[in-house]
Amino acid sequence: MSLAQYGFQKLVLLNSAGYSRAELPLDDSVSIIAPNNTGKTSLINALQFLLILNKQHMDFGAHSPENTRRFYFPYNSSYILLEVLLPSGMAVIGCVGKGLSHDYEYFAYQGSLDLDDYRLQNGHLVAQPKLISRLFECGKPAKIYQQADLRALLYGNRQKQRSDDPDLTIFPLEFTSQAGTYQRILTRTLRLDRLDSREVKTYLLEIFKNDLQDRSVDFKSEWDKNFADVNYDKSQYDAVFRNKPLIETMENSQQTRLGLRGKIIQWRPLIEQGLNDWEAHFQNSSIELQQRFESLTTEIGTLEHRQKAIFQDQANANIALKEHEKKETRYQELTVRFQFVTDGTQLEKQRQALQEQRDDLVTRIKNAEQHQSSDAIKRNIAKIRKERDELNQQLTNLNDNFYLQLQKLLPKSSFDLLTRLLAKSVLSLSVTEGNAIDLHDKPAFQSLIGVLESKLSGNLLKLPGFSLDISALEANLTLKTAHELETEIDDCTRQLSALEKLLQTVETLAQQKQKQTGVERQIKALDNDIQDYQELVSLKESESTRLQTIAEIQRNIAGLDQEELTLADNKKSLAAMQTSLKTEQGELQSQHQRINAARHQRLDQQPPFNFLEQLPSLPCMEPAVLVMSALADQIENYNRDCQKLRQIDDNLSLQLSKLHQEGVSKFQTQDSAEQELVALFNYTAQLSQEQASIERKARSAVVQVAAILRDLRNSLESFKRRMREFNNKINRRQLSDLKVFKIEPREEDALVKAIQTLISTSEQVDSGNSFDLFDHNAVLDDKELNKAKDLLIKEGEARGSLRVEHLFRLVFIIAKEGQEPAEFEDIDSAASNGTVLMAKLITGLAMLNQMQDPRKQIKTACYLDEAASLDQHNQRNLIETAAEFGFSLIFASPEPQITARYCVPIGNVQGKNTISRLNWQILEAITAENQA
Amino acid sequence: MTIDLKQLPQLHPLFKLLSSGAHLNRLQDSELWVELENHQSQYETLFAALGFSLVLDGRGYAYFKTDQASTYTGKLTRRLALLLMLLFEYQADQGLHLFQFQQWQLDTPLINKLHIHYHAILEAEEITSPQTIKEILDSAARIGFLVLEDGVYRLQPAVHRYLDLFQELAQAERNDPMQTEDDAGDTL
Ligand SMILES: Nc1ncnc2c1ncn2[C@@H]1O[C@H](COP(=O)(O)OP(=O)(O)OP(=O)(O)O)[C@@H](O)[C@H]1O
Ligand SMILES: [Mg+2]
Repeated sequence: MSLAQYGFQKLVLLNSAGYSRAELPLDDSVSIIAPNNTGKTSLINALQFLLILNKQHMDFGAHSPENTRRFYFPYNSSYILLEVLLPSGMAVIGCVGKGLSHDYEYFAYQGSLDLDDYRLQNGHLVAQPKLISRLFECGKPAKIYQQADLRALLYGNRQKQRSDDPDLTIFPLEFTSQAGTYQRILTRTLRLDRLDSREVKTYLLEIFKNDLQDRSVDFKSEWDKNFADVNYDKSQYDAVFRNKPLIETMENSQQTRLGLRGKIIQWRPLIEQGLNDWEAHFQNSSIELQQRFESLTTEIGTLEHRQKAIFQDQANANIALKEHEKKETRYQELTVRFQFVTDGTQLEKQRQALQEQRDDLVTRIKNAEQHQSSDAIKRNIAKIRKERDELNQQLTNLNDNFYLQLQKLLPKSSFDLLTRLLAKSVLSLSVTEGNAIDLHDKPAFQSLIGVLESKLSGNLLKLPGFSLDISALEANLTLKTAHELETEIDDCTRQLSALEKLLQTVETLAQQKQKQTGVERQIKALDNDIQDYQELVSLKESESTRLQTIAEIQRNIAGLDQEELTLADNKKSLAAMQTSLKTEQGELQSQHQRINAARHQRLDQQPPFNFLEQLPSLPCMEPAVLVMSALADQIENYNRDCQKLRQIDDNLSLQLSKLHQEGVSKFQTQDSAEQELVALFNYTAQLSQEQASIERKARSAVVQVAAILRDLRNSLESFKRRMREFNNKINRRQLSDLKVFKIEPREEDALVKAIQTLISTSEQVDSGNSFDLFDHNAVLDDKELNKAKDLLIKEGEARGSLRVEHLFRLVFIIAKEGQEPAEFEDIDSAASNGTVLMAKLITGLAMLNQMQDPRKQIKTACYLDEAASLDQHNQRNLIETAAEFGFSLIFASPEPQITARYCVPIGNVQGKNTISRLNWQILEAITAENQA
Repeated sequence: MTIDLKQLPQLHPLFKLLSSGAHLNRLQDSELWVELENHQSQYETLFAALGFSLVLDGRGYAYFKTDQASTYTGKLTRRLALLLMLLFEYQADQGLHLFQFQQWQLDTPLINKLHIHYHAILEAEEITSPQTIKEILDSAARIGFLVLEDGVYRLQPAVHRYLDLFQELAQAERNDPMQTEDDAGDTL
């Protein structure tokens, strides 16, 4: 090792930590050798005062700061001194006790560390008050430094140095801001405490800070900031969309309202005018109507009068007509009746004939009425006729009749008897064959009559059962001569003829009388006929006059009927006119009442009607004409319109506040509710464009947010790159028997993926890939995107902010030969004690090295307590690795470690530890290995 | 170490959750997790004093380590271990990377497939229907091994405990083929 190498030269303790004097070489690896509990660790720890300086960062394990101070600075002549070769030359940094309080102070100067500078002539050490002057005397102008100032000096913080200060930078950091971190790691490395991945992560983040866009992202506020507008717009859009039907209703109402206002504005002066004129109009109209009514009444009266006259005339005419018509009918009848009568004399002649017939009858009847009755005559006739018949018979049977026969055949007595017993007719009967009497056995007949005569005794004829006195009987027949008979017969016949004529007259008397009556009737009828005929003649004579009269009357009647009809019609129409006048009057009256009522119901004196002209309206396109007769309707309509308008006003304001409740607030900034509505309607009409514009905004918001996240992701990538370099650094040499020893970031997949989701969405959006209005994968509704966002917000809120370190954790990856690499969070559990020690040390040194300015290499020191746990091979490796990182390694162990260049045992003089330069044993490499 | 309880505002919910035997998952319970991460040593000390051994695994989960398991958790643990093992086997057969288990979607079709595929094995544990599987998953969700989101179960980082165990067993089996996976779950 060349002396020319910048870096620590030696550490000297005077009167400190139980050492009266200790001189420890630091320009190369050292093995401090002493039994346990001697002071090896205390010696190395003394370096903390000079290297860490900051009391808070110093770490003395279980020893309290007070004890430590007392232990290290019991006197005001206790010293901890470090000699270091810097590019500006040799320099000494020191720490001296101040005595009683066990306090200490820092000083430094340029020049080499010469222990004689601190020793007085009397062998005592220089006390703190005299130190500066002593050093000055020795030609080493030292300066007292405040701890912080010295620290600035040592860590090259130029800003905190005064210009006249020497350059004492022993830790030339790339970034002086990392001094704190460097010290912390240095402390850790010196102590080699438990080193876990989280600490390593913290340190590495510190170390690589300048490579990372060290951005702390308040993701939620970034998101909210960028999406505030979008979310607001979206909420407005949603609220409007949700309430679209209501808004459409409102728009209709608004349209109606504008129209109503126009109408009311147009009508208002007209109504005003109408109401002013109404009273006069009403009076005039009333009077006029009354007059018209009365004149109609008069007219109707006249009509009725005339009508009565007509009725009378009609009656009269009808009577006359009937009269004439009757005559005509009579004429027609008579004409028919006498159609075969040519002349009146014909009838007179007939009458003459009948008159004569009657007179004849009257005479005959008078004759008949003087004779006997017809019955008596009839009886006479019958008597005479019988007489004549008998005479005739006697005449006929005069020769051969039964009487004569009997007279010839029978004795006189018997004869007499029989003529008495037998009827004249029987005796008159002819006895020729085939007549009524047949006397075919005369003897028998004689005997019989003899028997019969025997029965006669005296005049009495006795027969069985009865007896008959024959003396009472006349002989029935006495025969006359033919002449006698004929004369008698003639006589009878003459008598009979007279009687018969008389009987005929008597018998026909009633008939004749009847005939007389008939004739007389005929005469009478004929008289009538003659009279009628005369009538006919007279009618015939007046016929033409009569027919004329009838026609005239009929015409007259038709005229009257016509007139009456007209009159009735007129009357009806007049009555109708009156009725309508009455209606009109009623109408006028009711209008009057309605107008009076409506006049009181007018709303247009109150707001908003008294400033209606200032409100937006649609001019009314319908012509408005005031019609007095329609005023009632018009004013009522007008009132209704006012009412309606007010209703709409109320409704709209209710609906608007409902919309406010629903969250539609975008338009509330408008000057008036009306303008708010207009804006709302315009917005609603443009809803699809709004959606598109929200989508556009959302996309650009995503782009904004993603830009911030991209920094995070880039930082993560940088960090991973840095970690690869770092792993290369610690793997330059094999560590112990480890095949793999790496510290790797493990991403928090979910978070990194969420970031990636946002970034790639933004890239898509940016490149316009999905920038399409019809793209349904709207950013705001993107489920994955929202999930990613929520996750990042949640994480950000839990962490306070999102930083690159939240995106990964570090793991130690360790594998021995022939083993699968395994991940460890805590290196202590990963391997054996020695290996772990090495791993920690190398990691620590690598980190420190990482911070140093590679251009200015100043070798410092670090130590490995309990070095015995490492085998020599590893010790060598470690020494070399440490050297490469710019550190001399100090081993402390009860046994000498021959891998170190110096072996330094701790000696004891008068109960005090001492290390003298004389005790240093320098080991030179003798193996080829060592020379490498 | 002195512990200032005022600096541990989440002590109560944390203790409640962990002492119930549930697992805390990094992204699921971000707030508690961050709290635990920020004051890890304090919590460790405090819980240790109360007789609980806090395990905070950097892979994103925390729990109280206990030696004895109640019979209930014992049974659940055993059944869940079986289910997860089958799931891992099945997914591995599908060519999926086991360490990405957090991205798997354990949905009804997948559950049905598992049920059909491992019918016999599941039957032996009295897991007779997809519904039973869901019930087990629900119970596991209550102690932080899964979450149910939109009807889909997702494995949480805490499942690493099982995965570690399975790998350990697989390792052991390689070393000693006679070893069986007796009481695998109960040792958790
Ligand atoms: N900061 C301190 N304040 C007070 N006393 C201390 C301090 N550091 C060490 N000591 C004391 O110094 C003595 C030596 O201890 P040290 O740790 O230096 O021994 P060691 O040689 O490292 O022993 P070992 O081989 O066991 O590590 C002990 O009695 C110890 O109490
Ligand atoms: Mg020691």
